[in-house]
Order: sequence, then C-alpha cells, then structure tokens
Amino acid sequence: MRLTLQTLISHGRVARRMGLGPESRINMLRNILTGLVRHERIETTLARADEVRFYAEKLIDYAKKGDTDEKAMKMASFWLTEKDLVPKLFKVLAPRFEKHSQGFTRMARLPNRENLDRAKMAVLEYKGNPFPPLYPVKKENELTLINQLLKGYREEKTQELYMKCTENVTVNN
Amino acid sequence: MAARTSCRHFQRRFASSAAAALRPAPAEVWQQRSAVFSREQARQRALYPRVEKIEVSMEGPGLDGSLLVMNRGTSTPLSCARHLTEHHVTNSALALVDGEPWPLHKALTHSCSLRLLTFRDADPTLVNQAFWRSCAALLGQVLETAFKDEFWVELLDSPELPVTSGAFCCDVALDPQLDSWSPSEESLRSLTRAAQQLIHQDLPWEPLEVSPSVALEVFSHSRSKKEEVERKASQSSGGTVTLYRCGGHVLLSGGPLVARTGLCSQYEVTALYECGRGPWGLQRRAQGLSLPLQLQAHHTVWRKLRERAQKPVRVTEPEEVTPPSSPPPPPSSELNP
Repeated sequence: MRLTLQTLISHGRVARRMGLGPESRINMLRNILTGLVRHERIETTLARADEVRFYAEKLIDYAKKGDTDEKAMKMASFWLTEKDLVPKLFKVLAPRFEKHSQGFTRMARLPNRENLDRAKMAVLEYKGNPFPPLYPVKKENELTLINQLLKGYREEKTQELYMKCTENVTVNN
Repeated sequence: MAARTSCRHFQRRFASSAAAALRPAPAEVWQQRSAVFSREQARQRALYPRVEKIEVSMEGPGLDGSLLVMNRGTSTPLSCARHLTEHHVTNSALALVDGEPWPLHKALTHSCSLRLLTFRDADPTLVNQAFWRSCAALLGQVLETAFKDEFWVELLDSPELPVTSGAFCCDVALDPQLDSWSPSEESLRSLTRAAQQLIHQDLPWEPLEVSPSVALEVFSHSRSKKEEVERKASQSSGGTVTLYRCGGHVLLSGGPLVARTGLCSQYEVTALYECGRGPWGLQRRAQGLSLPLQLQAHHTVWRKLRERAQKPVRVTEPEEVTPPSSPPPPPSSELNP
C-alpha cells in the first residue's frame, strides 16, 4: 500500500526534461537533428547530444525504408525542418548505412564550455563523414631501427616459407 | 723431399716467431696510436688561437630560426645541443650541418645551419646507418682487446651491412696460432660482457679529420690498415681520412659514427665464424646485434632477432637483391572497410 506521493518524487525516472515542456523538447531536438543531417558533425551540450542520438538513429532506420514509403516520408518531413535535406537523407545517408544494422552515430566528449555555466559539451557525428577522424590513428614510423630489423626478419621468414613450399611441391611431383 | 718440407715448416715457424718478435706489444701499439691522435688533435685545435665567433642557425621541430653564436673550431653540435635542452643532449645521435652528416663531437668551422637527428625522427635512415657502423666499430674494438697479449689481432675492412640484414659484422684476422681455435658460447658471452662494459663507461667517439700521411703514421704497425687508409683517401672527396678515438683505441671508419657508446643498449655478440683464407691469414667474421637506448625491444622480440643474427648474413650486392623468380603473393584476405 503506497503511502508517498508518486507524482512529486522522481526516483527511477529516466526521461530527460528539456526546454519549456515536452513539445518544446521535441522542437529543440528537431532543430538539432536538422543541423546534424546538414553538417554531419555538430557540437552541443552532452545531454542534448545524448537525446538526439536516439532520434538520429531512428531517422536513419526510417530512411532505409525508402522515399516511396508513406510513413518514412512523413517522418522525414516532420523531423527535418529544412526541406532540402529530405533528399539528402534518402539519397546520401540511407545508402551509406545500408550494410550496417545499428550504430550510425558517434559521440565524443569535449572540454566544458567557456561560459559561466561550464556546461558539459559533446560532439555528435554520423559515421562515414568526410571530416578527419575524431580519434586520430597514430601511425608507427616504419623507418625506425627496430622496425627495419623486424621488416628484414619478416622478409626472411617469408622467403624460408616459400622455399619450403616449393620444396614440398617438387618432392610431391 | 721430406727434408724440403720440414725446412719450409721450420722456416715458416721461424718467420712467424720472427714476425711476432718484431711486433711490439698490443698495449704499446694502442698507446702510440692514441699519442699520435692526441698530437694531431692538439695541432688542429691550435689552428684557432683566438676565439672567433660563428652563427649557427638551428633547424628542427620547435627550433626553426633560433640562432646560436658559437666559437669557430671549438664548438661542436653537442655544445649547441647543450644550449637547448637536456632532451637534445641525451637523444641526439648525429647532426646535419648544411645537409651533410656531421659527427656530434666534431668542431664547427663556419657559419652554418644545424639539425640534430635522433632515432625517432620521421626519416632516421642516416642515423640508423651511423648506429650500425658505430656498433661494428665497437665490436672491432672489443675483438682487439679481448685476446691475450701474445696473440696479434688484425682488424680488416668489414663490409657495411644494411640494417635489414639483421646484424652488423666485423672482419678480423687472428694470429696464426689461433687458427685451430673455434669460439664457444662462453667466449661469445665474455665478448658481449666486454662490449657492455664499454657501453657502461659511456665513452665518446671523438672524430678527427686527418691527411693520409698522419693516418699512415697512426697505423704504421698494421699493413691492412695502411691499405684501407689509402683506399679511403682515394675514395673521399677531400683526400682526407676520418679517424675516431674511443677510450684509448683509434679506429678507422667509412662514415660518421654516433656520439657515444652509451647510446647502444642490448648489445650482444651473436656469432664468430670463419669465412675463408685471405692474404692476411684465416679471416673470421664476428656478427652482433644491438638496439639504441631509446628503442629497446621486448625479450621475445629480442630473442627472435638474436636467433636471426646468429646465422651468417649473406653480403648481397644491390643487383642480386631481387631473386630471379619472385615468390607468389600470399593469399590476401579481403579486409572489411
């Protein structure tokens, strides 16, 4: 028998509240999502990026159905406030993620904003975008002494293997 | 017939003992070489009695445009590095003065642009070659000092092996009394220990550019070295020969060496085998493996490289590098993008 007021206690409630209310929240996320589809990599606060991620992935799922699908077109035209991005979604983003079933976006944290609020910032991007990677791959220098020694070692091993293979072939023949 | 052969045998025996009697003790030979080296070094330094200034402009990451005012004939690239940071002093192995390789302890003679090279540069091929040459020179020095005084050791002109061959080598012709001696594991280990003692002492390789006459005077007791001096003098552009001194030993080298012995670590003498009979007697080749202090290897990797260095390295000419029938490419798996 519950004796506490459920409505005023928020234990276990996971949904975020943004803006002035649920409608304001959806409008804000719509604007952010439009920006993401246009630029393919955007910088916002952590909470907004996290929220938009769910909708960005669902949008791609709808776009994969194709632009002839009624529901998909309605969703796209609702979520993208700039209508010139609707063809980009169906013709560029959907084919890009044809082989992937999930995980179309990537989020990385940034240093906190310089303002007084020191808000947590994040960068959100669609995978396969043309910009340099967020986590750059450090290439090891092939020409250092130890790498050159190992290269010689590897070449000798392949030579030996080749000799053994040709030897086996001639023996079998 | 038998008398003739026995006479020849006795003559040979007398000849070798006569030659051995004529040769001075190795320690005296090294002392004499070092004395001639010091004399020539002092003479070259006395060419600059007054302090004259030169301008050295530095090149390198973070150093572009820095101008250092140094002394002509006394300042070395190492002293320029000392003006910068400790990182430059410990990590630089070679210097590029106006684009040409310059040993770190060699004095600068004119205003120039200087670039300090380390083992971790974008293109360390020059440094790698210099390091390989220095390790071979160290091996030669170790072999010279390893044997007892009654045995004569003659260092020959060793071929310069590329780094990818897996080992550096040093050709040596030992005393005829040692013709039947073959090295065991213990002897290789003691050679390695001697080399590591030299490395621990962190001796600098002091370069000196001399005219062939002085070099011939330095190596007056060694015929093979004299021939090597003449060959190098004819090959070099200025007709001069560069000598290097490490500790008390004077060496001859084909190119620049790195700054000090302390830059090598994980030094090991891996093999010593015979490679035919030449004009100087039974020629033996010693092979070794070493890595710089900044690029140490894990023990599993080191073991694999050492096993490769124990096998005799084939000195291949550049034309023979590509085999006549190229091996088929290994089946490449399609990598998912």
